[in-house]
Amino acid sequence: MNRFLKNLGLFILPVFLLCASAEFALRSIPNDYSYKSNYLDRNSENIEVLFLGSSHAYRDINPIFINLNGFNAGYVSQTLDYDLKILEKYDGNWGHLKYIVLPISYFSLFYQLRTSTESWRVKNYNIYYGMTSSNKLTDYFEILSNNLEINLERITSYYVLGKPNITSSQLGWGASFNSGSQPDLLESGVSAATRHTYADDKYFNDNLTILRSIIYFADKRHITVFLYTPPAYHSYVEHLDKAQLERTLMAIKQIDHDSRNVFYVNFLTDDSFTAVDFLDADHLNEIGAEKFTKKIGELIYKNSQ
Amino acid sequence: MLFNSLNFAIFLPVVFILYWFVTQKSLKIQNLLLLVASYFFYACWNYKLLFLLLFSTLLGFITAIKIHESGKTNIRQSWLWFYLAVNLGLLGIFKYYNFFASSFIGVVSSLGFHTDFWALDVILPVGISFYTFHGLSYVIDVYKKRVDPTRSFVEYAVFVSFFPLLVAGPIERATHLLPQIQQKRQFNYSEAVDGLKQILWGLLKKIVIADSCAEYVNLIFDNSTLYSGSTLALGVIFFSFQIYCDFSGYSDIAIGTGKLFGIELFQNFAFPYFSRNISEFWRKWHISLSAWFRDYVFFPLERQRFKLLGQPLNILVVFFLTGLWHGANWTFVIWGLLHGSYLILFSVLGRFGKYPTQVPRPSRVSNFFYFIETLLTFLLVSFAWIFFRAKDVKHAISYIIELFSSSIISAPELPSKAWGTIVFIGIFLAVEWLGRNQGYAIGHLGLNWPRPLRWALYYIIVIVIFYYAGSEQQFIYFQF
Repeated sequence: MNRFLKNLGLFILPVFLLCASAEFALRSIPNDYSYKSNYLDRNSENIEVLFLGSSHAYRDINPIFINLNGFNAGYVSQTLDYDLKILEKYDGNWGHLKYIVLPISYFSLFYQLRTSTESWRVKNYNIYYGMTSSNKLTDYFEILSNNLEINLERITSYYVLGKPNITSSQLGWGASFNSGSQPDLLESGVSAATRHTYADDKYFNDNLTILRSIIYFADKRHITVFLYTPPAYHSYVEHLDKAQLERTLMAIKQIDHDSRNVFYVNFLTDDSFTAVDFLDADHLNEIGAEKFTKKIGELIYKNSQ
Repeated sequence: MLFNSLNFAIFLPVVFILYWFVTQKSLKIQNLLLLVASYFFYACWNYKLLFLLLFSTLLGFITAIKIHESGKTNIRQSWLWFYLAVNLGLLGIFKYYNFFASSFIGVVSSLGFHTDFWALDVILPVGISFYTFHGLSYVIDVYKKRVDPTRSFVEYAVFVSFFPLLVAGPIERATHLLPQIQQKRQFNYSEAVDGLKQILWGLLKKIVIADSCAEYVNLIFDNSTLYSGSTLALGVIFFSFQIYCDFSGYSDIAIGTGKLFGIELFQNFAFPYFSRNISEFWRKWHISLSAWFRDYVFFPLERQRFKLLGQPLNILVVFFLTGLWHGANWTFVIWGLLHGSYLILFSVLGRFGKYPTQVPRPSRVSNFFYFIETLLTFLLVSFAWIFFRAKDVKHAISYIIELFSSSIISAPELPSKAWGTIVFIGIFLAVEWLGRNQGYAIGHLGLNWPRPLRWALYYIIVIVIFYYAGSEQQFIYFQF
């Protein structure tokens, strides 16, 4: 038995050391999550407008065009539960926060990151934001969340090829996407609408509860919550499931009606956004982001009067 | 918890250390540890269903003692029928009620009548088919006086719920496993190392081959109307290897884990895709299940008056039940009946008892007909897998129609990465062929090598596993 344990230990030791080194190397690569978390650590006390949400916030809102001190803490596939966790993490630091701006998209009330195909992103919140949002051990380690092929690629890309891994601008906007790389808006509209349509509503009530928690959190701190449905190209809108869309809009309108610190605007069929504004059928490029952010800014200003 | 999860990687060494260092001096405490660990393992799936496992175990324990203690045949028989009715009844309710009820409604509706049925909103308990069959074999063996019942509930409960085989087998027999539980185990270095090696091999089969194939199988089967016949053919081949590597990989991990605890479990797969006919295939595929149905269904049918029905009908009954055991869907039933038909056909052709030996002799390798027979058997088995994988009968039929259309001679439409998986399958088959004389393909590989070379091989396997690990795919047989 002692011989067995000794040999097993000898065998596992190099594996363990390699894994530990890889974990350290991966965590040391600057990424959007670590950037946003560090920014909020240093600047949350000064932020006046906080943008949260999924890629519909991350790509559509460039805070540089707001006349207040704003930051885009949204990210790809970020769901309402993680928006709330970000707010709660910096509770006590929101001394200057006046507005939370949050997109409620067609899919926002119907899915959760932890149970989706993007659940591998959960480890980013646990590792870089310091959250404990999962009871799966693999969600706390970089090397266990992706396979070796992907991790090797990340290490090679950063340490050997020197490619940057941060795509956010200084104020958190998804800056790596621009109007020069525009895919087929018709095809992307159909595929995105299909991808965002859910056969069941098992997360609907949970997500509504989380949204109400965000609104309550804000209300207690005298923060206004600006909810919006983001603009989209007609090819996306035309292929949305009417029942899912209707249910989402009705729920949001009810919340707008019931909450004193909420105002809601639906930009889904806003025809001021044309093809030149879109990166793909449901995300804006830098031209559209500037236009849309200024619109948001104007609405915030009007609300403040 | 899955075998290929971090949770199991922590659970196993903890139980191993407690087993050999803390509880080794007392067999009773050691068995109790195994029981607690097994119930904890099961509770990680769904703690609410522990009650069902416990109830089924208690029932088997008490019934076996009652049967043993009864002197009169009619009382013994009554206890046996009582146990069969309750245990199979539970299996029937949890697994088959909605299936049979909806099928009945379908038939009634097609006759123009309307009726409602009350669907049961029940979860299918993980492993119910496996632990139910464990219990059945024990009670029947006690009834047949092949084995004496144990008076220790802990011993019996460990037999039913030993964690490596609790949720997906192998289906053990009391005559084989119970004596091992009742005797003191000694740590054996070679067995333990062999067990670790078999676990590693099982993980490679599951994570590298099975999960890689699953990616393409899901893509092709879920969108079968979009693909050509040649791509659909590749989909079937991928599924053949997915299910084999998934299930045999699980069995390897289970058997390897048993070795770590000084317990020998049945070999469950003996390189079935090298079989030369269907009869040989069923002596090598899911051996513990086919042996169970052979011993507890087929032989009794053959011995009793049902022999009047003729062997072919008995074969169909067995394979009807085998198909049904796999799931509450007509696709599984058709899959089973297809295999039954194959066996009957081979029987008629006089090839039923051919190749009784488990392992093909090396000298046959150069035999061209050996290759053709093996290929034909593989194709027949793969064809039947279409029904196993399809979501319903209609899907299976439309898959087959498109498969055998003229587009079968076109180039398959798959991402280039799929060809890497095909190369991997080729390498895997070569390794399996070279190791077909052993319990598992790499059983003897490297035994005589110097340690650095042997460890280099193990490190390569570990690296390959890590390279492919990342997205967990459920073990297919957990749904049974």
